[in-house]
Amino acid sequence: MKEHEGRRRFLARATGAIAALVGVTIGIPLAGYTIIPAFKRRKPVWMDIGPVEALRTGVPTELELVLSVKDGWHKTNKKKSVWAAKDSTGQIIVYSPICTHLGCGYRWVQKKQSFLCPCHNSVFALDGKVIKGPAPRPLDRLPVKMDGDRILTRYKEFKAGISRQIAL
Amino acid sequence: MKKMLYRWFDERLKLRPIKIALLDEAIPGGASWVYIFGSITLFFFLLQMITGMFLAIYYSPSIEHAHESIRYIMEEVEFGSFVRGLHHWGASGMMVMIGLHMLQVFLYGAYKRPRELMWLVGVVLFIITLAFGFSGYLLPWDQRAYWATQVGINIVGTLPLVGTSLLRIIRGGQDLGAMTLNRFFALHTLFLPWLLILLVTLHLFILRRVGPAGPWDKARAARIREPFWPKQVAMDAVGILIAFMIVAGLAVWFPAPLSDPANPTDTTFNPIPEWFFLFYYQLLKYFSGPWEVVGTLILPSLFFLILFFLPWLDRRKDRRPISRRFFFVGGGLFLTMVFTLIAISIRDISSLPTLSPSVLRGKAVYHELDCAACHRIHGAGEAFGPDLSYIGELRSRDWFIQHFKDPQSLVPDSMMPAYGLEEQALHDLTDYMLSLKHEIDR
Repeated sequence: MKEHEGRRRFLARATGAIAALVGVTIGIPLAGYTIIPAFKRRKPVWMDIGPVEALRTGVPTELELVLSVKDGWHKTNKKKSVWAAKDSTGQIIVYSPICTHLGCGYRWVQKKQSFLCPCHNSVFALDGKVIKGPAPRPLDRLPVKMDGDRILTRYKEFKAGISRQIAL
Repeated sequence: MKKMLYRWFDERLKLRPIKIALLDEAIPGGASWVYIFGSITLFFFLLQMITGMFLAIYYSPSIEHAHESIRYIMEEVEFGSFVRGLHHWGASGMMVMIGLHMLQVFLYGAYKRPRELMWLVGVVLFIITLAFGFSGYLLPWDQRAYWATQVGINIVGTLPLVGTSLLRIIRGGQDLGAMTLNRFFALHTLFLPWLLILLVTLHLFILRRVGPAGPWDKARAARIREPFWPKQVAMDAVGILIAFMIVAGLAVWFPAPLSDPANPTDTTFNPIPEWFFLFYYQLLKYFSGPWEVVGTLILPSLFFLILFFLPWLDRRKDRRPISRRFFFVGGGLFLTMVFTLIAISIRDISSLPTLSPSVLRGKAVYHELDCAACHRIHGAGEAFGPDLSYIGELRSRDWFIQHFKDPQSLVPDSMMPAYGLEEQALHDLTDYMLSLKHEIDR
């Protein structure tokens, strides 16, 4: 009888081990399959936003670019815009187009020499610093590269509402 | 800890009778390796359900995106190829196991009274599984899917009286298109799974009510009685493990195929159905014209009628093979026919010339330039110039290229004009010429 019990226990354990093995062999790939693609980031690409001549010193200009977005198997072209400016030293600055407060689109007001966000009246200087209003951090700068006389940038958007700059 | 949990639930749910019903059912004649196929079939169904649900995370059932979404799964999603491979090979595994399960039931005469209902439900489960295979085949919306489904639906269309209407209903419209893909998707992922779950439950419920048949040797069945748990379960588990490892290996080393996106205008594609439809596909070739209905209606109806009513045809109580010789011979002949047809079909398919894309393009150039106005290939075209049927055996690549550039440089009195072909067309046409041989290179 004791031997019989031992045999039953062995069979039960063997069954459990097989179930676990098959479960893990299926479960781990399925977890990776579901989770990993959700954490992938698109590789940012350098995009042409126009010639240097388009910019006058001290007058930020809104420039458009076409972002080809790959959303899984779905590819779309999205029109986006950025604010580009040339400061007094001749350096070119490009800003992400959304307000750092809650993500509204802001614009340049020439009369006041500042960027104004119409949603909650955040005001930013030409160099991006917050002058007034609830914005928790300066405007988000995008990387800039020159190719001859063309301005290139890598479009990005950042999380709004927090003082740290975190790319989305 | 485990015991405590069990006691807690048992007190509230009265688990003991369920445990006894599920696990302690006595198997007449004891546990056996012969009985494992039903469990493996059930395992494969669960595998199909799980992998299918996960595939649906990325798959898009629309003709614009279906192919691209499958390509995405295969090439960009981590483990995507493995998951789709499991689903693809799991389908075949399930078919094989159903075949073995049915064979075992047939050999043991286990469908005889009082187990007719279990058999009937089993046959319906088999038909549902075939419907799963057929509807799933279309979903990648690639050339294979499109053309094989086209042929499959058209077979239905040849049925007398109801054919045309049925064709419309299956397609969901005039042609095989967006409507077809959507209804196949709904069928494959919503209608059929529920139906199958329901009927599998019924199948198992009947099994538990009526009990397994056991061996045909009554003395043996009476002498040995063993509960389902743990020995039979362990045997089933070993079978499942082996079957799963084979399918997982196939999924890793032979990824599920994905051909070019479906192209209704490209008729050069040679549709091949899934292997479990292959024997039927081959069978249909032997019936044409007025006999077509034999292949499309009479034989399939006969097959399923016999299958359904087998318990009433083979009704003697004695389950020993010796007293069922007629059915054994019949079953043997049927299986021989199936495997012979599969073999013939595979031989025919593997001897089909597979043309390279450049040869196909070259053929298009040949038609565009109307070469057939002077040349003849296998009887098609005029015979002013040389017959080109086997020209690929007579000339070399360099010769063709030089000749197309300047025919008179090689054949001084040739009437053929120099067409001034672009580089790509020149090479494509040369590839086509070189393919014209008795034996086609593969």
